[in-house]
Amino acid sequence: MVINLLEKGFQKRTARAMKIKNKKSQMKIQQTAFMLLALTLLFALVGLFFLGFKLTSVKNLASDLDEKNAKLLVSKLANSPEFSCGESFGNAKGACIDEDKVMMLKELPEYNDFWSVADIKIRKIYPKLQTLQLNQEVKCTRTNYPSCNIIELKGASVTGNYESNFVSLCRKEPQGQSFYNKCEIAELLVSYVK
Amino acid sequence: MIFNFNKSHIKRGFLQISFAWLFALVVGAFILLLAIFVSIKMINTEQTTEDAATAKDIGVLLNPLETGFENGKKTLLDLPSETRIYSYCEEGDFGNQKLKVSQKSLGKWTDTGVEISIQNRYVFSESPSEGRQFYILSLPFEFPFKVADLIILIPKNKNYCFVNPSEDFFKIFSDLKLENVFNASSIGSCPENSEKFCFNSQCTNGTIIHESSKYIEKEKNLHYETDSLMYAAIFSDPDLYECQVKRLMARAEGLAELYEKKSSFIAQRGCHSNINFANFIAKLNSAQNDPSLIHLLSQDVENIKNANERGACPLW
Repeated sequence: MVINLLEKGFQKRTARAMKIKNKKSQMKIQQTAFMLLALTLLFALVGLFFLGFKLTSVKNLASDLDEKNAKLLVSKLANSPEFSCGESFGNAKGACIDEDKVMMLKELPEYNDFWSVADIKIRKIYPKLQTLQLNQEVKCTRTNYPSCNIIELKGASVTGNYESNFVSLCRKEPQGQSFYNKCEIAELLVSYVK
Repeated sequence: MIFNFNKSHIKRGFLQISFAWLFALVVGAFILLLAIFVSIKMINTEQTTEDAATAKDIGVLLNPLETGFENGKKTLLDLPSETRIYSYCEEGDFGNQKLKVSQKSLGKWTDTGVEISIQNRYVFSESPSEGRQFYILSLPFEFPFKVADLIILIPKNKNYCFVNPSEDFFKIFSDLKLENVFNASSIGSCPENSEKFCFNSQCTNGTIIHESSKYIEKEKNLHYETDSLMYAAIFSDPDLYECQVKRLMARAEGLAELYEKKSSFIAQRGCHSNINFANFIAKLNSAQNDPSLIHLLSQDVENIKNANERGACPLW
């Protein structure tokens, strides 16, 4: 009997101890779950920050390469066969663009992405057209050519950064029964998207 | 009974690992594995980025190689580590030049699937071309107007030997001062491990250049017109060469159409050039399907060249 009472008492104490222990364990599990959540969040945040930083640096690298491409391209584009004067205006000239050829190039859509740049423009600088006001820009078309000062290769205006180079822009100009070579100073602009 | 219970309780305690420890071990191992996985991924991504940037950089650096009125240009490409440059060619419209770079890192070649694409360049090389330093030659291809500059990529660590070349043939290598291209009187006097080339005759251990019939005997017969295309065929992989010739014919066709348009444009102002491009354009189109037909164009090229020089308003 005494033994039974003792056993019961012991069982009660044990059950109470187990209850307290269960509560403690539940607290511990809750703590762990919160810590796990916090840890995951921390890692996710650090990962996101790092990924953002990496993406920005890759974007910057791509942008720098595009800028470098535009800079190097603009310095040599006038020698490209689609632009260059060749020997059609006398002896071979460096940094010389054939204006008649470029006017026709404008009409060929297959060349739109040929140079992998956003846009190519040629702006006549000197001599200024007397019919134009200061800083007035007139896009060249078949109808107003050569009384215009901007040749846009892609047609649509593209916003972006431009790299430029000075070139001579030559064409055949009638004079009575014959023709003479008329060369003007122009700025070749190559744009890239930054 | 009490005694027994306590005993078993003490025994279990000996082997018991607390939940906190178990959790720390599992999560710690997981974090460690995750960190290793992320690091490996990041290193791979970094290598891919670097390879892609190097390939793009090479493509960008080809821009200043556009020739003006010079016969050729040479530049030295010096890379920070051993590099394999893969040059691929893609047909269609003007086609595409594709470049892929693989660099040696910790004794292993990086394997990147990133290719950069350039529409207005024509690179002739072995694929892959391996080394740390490369000579890049740029030679204008005129057919009869300038079509493009041919970029020839030659690894500096590989020797090339020409047996009894003509003075005209070898002049370009002497002018451009290529240190790894040799002129030998016999095949025996060529440096060891050099790639050997003979002219018009049979040689046991070398590639034969048939100068009179204008083709080079490799795994395929590579037909050429003009000197620049001959040099390109010498240093190029046969399949790459044929694909690039197709692309060059496509660009020549595009330029012929451009000159035809220019001709009618300036004719409106009374400036006539009187060149008939129709037949030439049709033949250029056929050569795009079969590059060996390039030799059929030689007479047309000559005729058009003469007509342009004689005309009142030359087109190029």
